[in-house]
Amino acid sequence: MDDHNDRNFDALVIGGGIAGLQSALDLADQGFTVAVIERDASVGGKMIRLSKVFPTLDCASCITTPKMAAAAHHDRITLLTYCDLISLQRENGGFRAEVIQRPRYVDARKCIGCRQCEYACPVLVPDREQGGFSPTKAIAIPFSNAIPQIAVLDPNHCMLCGRCERVCPTGAVDYFQQPQPFTVTARTAVVTTGFEMTTLADKPQYGRGKIPNLIDALQMERLLAPHGPYNRVLRPSDGKAPDSIAYIQCAGSRDKSMGQSYCSRVCCMYAIKQAMLLSGSLPLADITIYYMDIRAFGKGYEQFFQNAQAMGINFVKAKVAAVEPGPDGAVVLRYEAQDGEGVTTAEHDLVVLSLGLIPAWNPAGVCPLATASDRFIQSRRPKLAPVETAMEGLFAAGAAIGPKDIVDTIAEAGNAAMAAGKYLAALSRQGQETVAAQ
Amino acid sequence: MTQDNPKPETLAAKIGVYICHCGGNISDHVDVETVRRRVEKMPGVAVARTNMFMCSDPGQEMIAEDLKSGTVDRVVVASCAPSLHEKTFRSAIQRAGANPFIYEHANIREQVSCVHHGQAATDKATVLVAAAAAKAGQLKPLTPIRVPALRHATVIGAGAAGLSAARDLADSGIPVTLIEKSSFLGGQLARLDRIAPTGDLAADLVRQLVESVLNHRDITVLTDAEVVGFEGYIGNFKLTVRRGQPAVEPATEPRYIPFSGMQPAGTGADKPGDLTVETGAIVLATGFRSYRPRQGEYGFGDFSPVITLPDLIRKMAERHVPGNMLTIDGRQVRAVAMIHCVGSRQIPGIHPEDENGHLNEYCSRVCCTATLNAADRIRQAYPGTRVYELYRDIRTYGRDQEELYEQAGRNGVVFLRFEAENAPEVLPADPGDGFALKVKVTDTLTFGETLEVPADLVVLATGMEPNDVSDLVEMMKLPVGTDRFLLEVHPKLRPVEMPVAGIFVAGTCQAPFDVGEACNAAGAAAVKAAALLGAGQVELDPFVAEVDVDRCRGTGACIEACLNPGALSLVEMQIDGQTVQRARVTPALCLGCGACVAVCPENAIDVCGMTLRQYEAMVDAIVEN
Repeated sequence: MDDHNDRNFDALVIGGGIAGLQSALDLADQGFTVAVIERDASVGGKMIRLSKVFPTLDCASCITTPKMAAAAHHDRITLLTYCDLISLQRENGGFRAEVIQRPRYVDARKCIGCRQCEYACPVLVPDREQGGFSPTKAIAIPFSNAIPQIAVLDPNHCMLCGRCERVCPTGAVDYFQQPQPFTVTARTAVVTTGFEMTTLADKPQYGRGKIPNLIDALQMERLLAPHGPYNRVLRPSDGKAPDSIAYIQCAGSRDKSMGQSYCSRVCCMYAIKQAMLLSGSLPLADITIYYMDIRAFGKGYEQFFQNAQAMGINFVKAKVAAVEPGPDGAVVLRYEAQDGEGVTTAEHDLVVLSLGLIPAWNPAGVCPLATASDRFIQSRRPKLAPVETAMEGLFAAGAAIGPKDIVDTIAEAGNAAMAAGKYLAALSRQGQETVAAQ
Repeated sequence: MTQDNPKPETLAAKIGVYICHCGGNISDHVDVETVRRRVEKMPGVAVARTNMFMCSDPGQEMIAEDLKSGTVDRVVVASCAPSLHEKTFRSAIQRAGANPFIYEHANIREQVSCVHHGQAATDKATVLVAAAAAKAGQLKPLTPIRVPALRHATVIGAGAAGLSAARDLADSGIPVTLIEKSSFLGGQLARLDRIAPTGDLAADLVRQLVESVLNHRDITVLTDAEVVGFEGYIGNFKLTVRRGQPAVEPATEPRYIPFSGMQPAGTGADKPGDLTVETGAIVLATGFRSYRPRQGEYGFGDFSPVITLPDLIRKMAERHVPGNMLTIDGRQVRAVAMIHCVGSRQIPGIHPEDENGHLNEYCSRVCCTATLNAADRIRQAYPGTRVYELYRDIRTYGRDQEELYEQAGRNGVVFLRFEAENAPEVLPADPGDGFALKVKVTDTLTFGETLEVPADLVVLATGMEPNDVSDLVEMMKLPVGTDRFLLEVHPKLRPVEMPVAGIFVAGTCQAPFDVGEACNAAGAAAVKAAALLGAGQVELDPFVAEVDVDRCRGTGACIEACLNPGALSLVEMQIDGQTVQRARVTPALCLGCGACVAVCPENAIDVCGMTLRQYEAMVDAIVEN
């Protein structure tokens, strides 16, 4: 792992989230060698950051970590983390990727993940892995089940006091580490670059992220996670346990004013899931979901929605028009009630914006790959081969080709591995030996 | 087997016990540290450790380190259900260079922290861990059973998913037999016209798929064929396939018959009769059927202008009558009302069960977009026909589907929203207004006003039901969910696998999907089958019966009790110069059920990894703790 000499593989997977891991595993299990390039310091993507997942309410870690570990230990998979893809081009009938590994300021070959540096570091930094609610250190293992377990130094906050370097038992801290450019070549590639959440800054009606106790759904995932920042659900402004919590659906989806006219496909279900988890941890709290249409379309999802209604979660059909700060840290919502009351306001202790999904990667300038008007990568044949792109030998899966839940992502990632595997099989029939065979 | 003659242990086992917090899922209810302290003192336990996530890499490394340093030689992990992570920890042990079967799993999440709290939870966790540790002390290294796997796969069902899976497998070099019940290839996809949101013609998609299958030298297509017999195990299944009399005249070359599918060219060899297919893996792609409304449901069967969405699609495609207004069955349609969620999203207490007591509580996923597509096409082609859509929630979740919803609105489709408990009523029209029917609906979009919509045609957006595959379910012992679709092992960890190793599931026999999603599911199933068969051999768990030849007297009681014919047999062998009969196990066929163990009068047979002695040790530990 993280051995980045210039190397040749059968397949290159771009993005080490759940889609990339699944594709890599399914390719490697067919006997091909695979490199996974991940931008972050750990593989696992968005899924490893979640609390529990619908509709089974399995803990997200319990499902993601085995796939992360299986990929990390697979003989034919190489994980290249903390890497930026600079260029991906077709060359000699295959692909050539120019990659730069960003400096961790920690030697990956020496770090044993003992966290001595983290314990010694005197600088506290808001932990983005915990929604910014609790601190981490300026040098730290990214999170408890990160893979690889290599510390990363944050140069924006490090004050170069030297303590980490002194306590490190293997001499791994290296303040002078430089970005490492290297080249990866492969016969085929799978793009699994996933999604980011829409930004609050785009919606003035929702306060552009400046209203206290108005948080986003990924922050709520951390509040709900059993190993989260407070170990229970508290609202951030004053640490009060909220008695009334609301969800605003389609905050960043089906909303042309924010440039996202499409449905983000997962927000209904994650809001319902969070509401169910909240009613477990705060049994007395009132929970309301303001929605346009409830889109519980997957296997077991509608039954999950019905259960949520039976548990007393309140569903109000309304598109929330505006959000304002209220008294004592409350959040005030304005909407048109469809039961005949007209324009109504409601006050809640904590409000969650169900933000939509936008593509995490724009191929422009890196790779001549077409995106559609929604800015996700274009599928060439959405019906018969959703994973095919316009570039020969290049496949895509998961949220890179449109918002998608985990179940659909895993199926699509399997199909991308099948398509890439078939492509490699056809090449070997034409006489090109695979790397694994060599 | 060793009750009266316990064999002394030559070397006491060094047991490592690893207790997981599961990030709080366990440790919020079980005092993990107390369990660790108690277990540490138990006989044979060399170390007891805890971790936030035992399944994480640091957790697994902790075990590997202890094994490598020789600190432990037996491993117990106390965490979630073994179905989730037993395999994870066995692989970790194997990676550390040890035998993966020196492992015992204690479930202290589903069986403890999910259901008990406080002291009771901590005590029960202690007991379960103690029992697991006691068993671990008795565990012996086992060798997995390796059997050769036939490099051949069978796909059952030739709809979009089945065709796609067959072609994927064959393209990766695995010969495939594709078995289809009807005379046609293309399944339900062939019953569609233009499909949303891409506007692809279903016939073109079917042709593309079928041609790639028929022209593939590694695919054998059997139409009018049904699986009537099933035996064997992963890598070595044997299917009996019965070919019936074709329902249609044989074709001399492949031909497409609209709304039926593609008929392959018949050959003289296609005679009715049984044949045997020996295969290494099976992909089930048995598909769905459209929900059939009951008599009187929204006037269905009572009023002839009440039809289903598949009926409408077919009528519009088969007989296009140009004009300002849509014409169906020779009648001009001035207004059409389309009712969503017919046979889907049914709610107990609101919707009646069918004659077999079933209720379709699930969403059928594709009907919203399909209905909007039909509505929008009517508005575009026949501007004189008004279209009303009566819905509960519009579920245009997929790429470019929301745009179709918007476009239908722009093209003048009128939307009315009803609540499940206040469903629309289809009634005869008032005399004199000229329409065939009227639909009465309480519309929540207009603050609960009750509206009457006149209609010459009512279209019911019927959902999906799985095809009846009860014979396969019975034969192959497949699990079925409460929704009657085939039930995968785990929706995220093993989404295309059936619990019977070597059998995979693809497409709408698992859940409602659209065409693209069904093809994704097919690829996901095919890639698993390809990986399995690519290796040429498969590994089976060694949890099979083992005969102690010294004790066996050849009574044959075990053979009578055996549930899988062929797994146990009596063989003649020479012992002390005498020819005697003794039981012998065929490991690949043994189910590991233990039925033989219970009946052996000599205690001469045991199941590896689950021996009587191991269970006694567990019971002792439970009693002592």
